[in-house]
Amino acid sequence: MVAPLLKLEAVEKSFSGVRALKPLDLELAAGEVLGLVGENGAGKSTLIKLLSGVERPDAGVLLWQGQRVSFDSPRAALAAGIATIHQELSCFDTLSVAENLLLGEPWPRRPWGGVDWDRLCAEAKRQLAQVGLDVSPRSSFGELSAARKQEVAIARALSRRARLLVLDEPTASLSEPEVQRLFAHLARLRTAGVAILYVSHRLDEIMSLTDRVAVLRDGQLVGLYPTSEADLNRLVRDMVGRPLDQVYPHTRSGVLGAPLLELDGVSRKPMFRDISLRVHAGEIVGLAGLVGAGRSELARAIFGLYPITSGVLRLRGETWAGRSPEHALDAGLVYVPEERKRQGLVLDHSVGQSISIGFSDLLARWGLIPNQTENARIKQAMSSFGVRATGPEQSVGTLSGGNQQKALLARWLEREPEVVLLDEPTRGVDVAAKAEIHAWIDRLAAQGKAVLMISSDLPEVLGMSDRVLVMCQGAISTELRGAEMTQHNVILAASGLYQAEAHSA
Amino acid sequence: MPLSRSLARRLIVLSAGNVLLLLGITLCLKQGASMADILRRCGSDVAPTVLAGLGMTGLIFTGAIDLSIASIVVVAGTIFGILVQRGASPSTCYGACVCTAWVLSMLNGWLVRALRIPAIILTLAGLTFYRGMALVAADLGVPNFSGNISVADDAFHAPGKRWAGWILLVVIVAALLWERSARTSRSWLALGSSPEACRLMGLRPSKILQSAFCASGIFLGLAALVFVTRIQAIEPARLALGFELQVIGAVVLGGASIFGGEGCFGGTILGALFLYFTSQLLTYAGLNPYFQEAVVGALILAVIGLDCALQRQRKSLEELA
Repeated sequence: MVAPLLKLEAVEKSFSGVRALKPLDLELAAGEVLGLVGENGAGKSTLIKLLSGVERPDAGVLLWQGQRVSFDSPRAALAAGIATIHQELSCFDTLSVAENLLLGEPWPRRPWGGVDWDRLCAEAKRQLAQVGLDVSPRSSFGELSAARKQEVAIARALSRRARLLVLDEPTASLSEPEVQRLFAHLARLRTAGVAILYVSHRLDEIMSLTDRVAVLRDGQLVGLYPTSEADLNRLVRDMVGRPLDQVYPHTRSGVLGAPLLELDGVSRKPMFRDISLRVHAGEIVGLAGLVGAGRSELARAIFGLYPITSGVLRLRGETWAGRSPEHALDAGLVYVPEERKRQGLVLDHSVGQSISIGFSDLLARWGLIPNQTENARIKQAMSSFGVRATGPEQSVGTLSGGNQQKALLARWLEREPEVVLLDEPTRGVDVAAKAEIHAWIDRLAAQGKAVLMISSDLPEVLGMSDRVLVMCQGAISTELRGAEMTQHNVILAASGLYQAEAHSA
Repeated sequence: MPLSRSLARRLIVLSAGNVLLLLGITLCLKQGASMADILRRCGSDVAPTVLAGLGMTGLIFTGAIDLSIASIVVVAGTIFGILVQRGASPSTCYGACVCTAWVLSMLNGWLVRALRIPAIILTLAGLTFYRGMALVAADLGVPNFSGNISVADDAFHAPGKRWAGWILLVVIVAALLWERSARTSRSWLALGSSPEACRLMGLRPSKILQSAFCASGIFLGLAALVFVTRIQAIEPARLALGFELQVIGAVVLGGASIFGGEGCFGGTILGALFLYFTSQLLTYAGLNPYFQEAVVGALILAVIGLDCALQRQRKSLEELA
């Protein structure tokens, strides 16, 4: 039998006394796609860091193409042929796209030693075209959209002619067609004999892409089997260590109250135009669409972060114009933003501070916040939302993604708002935390609040919502109800093709 | 690679400001003074700031900074003075001056890497330490040292008094050409933009940082040379006080981000000229010298404020488009 491309023998790693990875054995053959799943904190990131040379193992052996190796820097790992796409974007906002793509490699020179920018850009253009990207190599990286940035980062790793490609949540900010494009490219690489280690929380991606799945829990390999023998229930059970009650709970009665949020022909060109929608008390309305279709912009405009240029907005039946976030909060409207690390949380703050900032103004007496009341409310919020932290003092940046998101929800929902706008509420959150957040969203609706939920996670938006509105190029193109609510229809509607097919069918 | 829009706009704002200041100076000219004289003197007057500013720009690209440059100039000047006193030839003295500044810059870079201390803190210590070392060297190296080292012989004043403008011109042209065609300056920007990303891309952050200190040392050596050969006596305790702030001011005015990752050499040159023309205009306009510093400060604020206002306007225009 041929030696595997990569072999880990009893590899382990601790961080300041905490064992992040217990002795682990793993093999990966050329041309194989191995899925790696696990909850946040299960050791996936640690394993990636060891493979990409960011960290070195405490013990154990790394065999690369049959040779014992030790990568002392990312440079060494890259040189050996292991390219990694890290979850946090590792690019340079102030440089051009071409420079971002090629900075790690020698640059073409003119005879007198200067950089040949034309040839550099041509090479960048070639690499971009390889993954089907049409971005000017001279444009500034910082001005690209989040999805484009991600695609450029992927193009960069793919162009490294690696023997092993490690992808850590590569689809986090991609929409469906971009995901499909990435998968097509990964399939080509696999045929060319490149091994792929694919890490994702999106189990549907794992199921459709990988040959084998490895499940990590608490730093241990608890499952390793061919994907054909895996199913969602088994994966979730292995990841969480117990069967999960319900990923998409539905305990609400389904009886709708009065419309709490109404939009009539609301526009803010060029972000979105002519949006009309209603969200009733006790209802969860999903808002699907491609990244860049204007969903987040719409939610922010409702919240009062951007003024709207035309149309009418009604809150509880009364005409309402958002002036500022404070104004919206007072009116009983909250918006939980999509990028929690940048827009939602101050990472150095403690968990307690992060939560109480949402409601402390309601507790204040003559401008002072009574300490005991505040602490009691924080404790109560942490336990009712299941925020797992050592205590209210722990800094929120050190929590796992799921717990950060729960803290963020706790902050706003403790205000008892009537209308809740959620923007990608479970992005980058592990399965167990996802189920808890879903249960909370369901409970909100059961309590008679109106929920508008933006999500690019199709199973989530379909599983949680009573109705799904699909936005396409700044307008709501389609409303899907009941049996129409399928992934297929959402994808068609998001690309503006749903109507066309309905007619031709 | 093309400049970012915000940088390009800053260059335009600064160029316009410089033209306005020159116009103002022309209007304020008294009899007996001519524009040609001012421009002729300008070269040697701004040379130290521009030369040191180019080096500082490279450092600030990487997100580092060197607060000890004034003290390094003093050490270089002291070595120069001691050698003059001991009867060394002018070229030996010039060479020693440039080399001293370069060696100390390299030392700064090496210490930042070896001790893993942020450059701003390490060089803050260097600011005091190097000036102290200059005093020690002067005390040991000059017989009957009483506070200053006299360099009265005009044979030792060529770089500062006669060649400064030419040195400046050659260095500016070389620096601008190099910036356009070198990979190194781009990797400085990359380092300042995200050190972690540099490491993950397989670059060597510490090597890149050292190269920035190395380049800064070369520029600073020339700056020190021009600086100390303009004066009759080198007084280690008082020479070049506040020079580092003037240089950093020129760099920031030139549009470089103080946090690294953004900027250009041209901006620093224009920024240094702007500061110089401002102080000249105030002098020619006969402003009370006690008011001058406050007015210069207010003008810097006005330029950066105007630039930021323009940026906001462009952004809101883009959103409406």
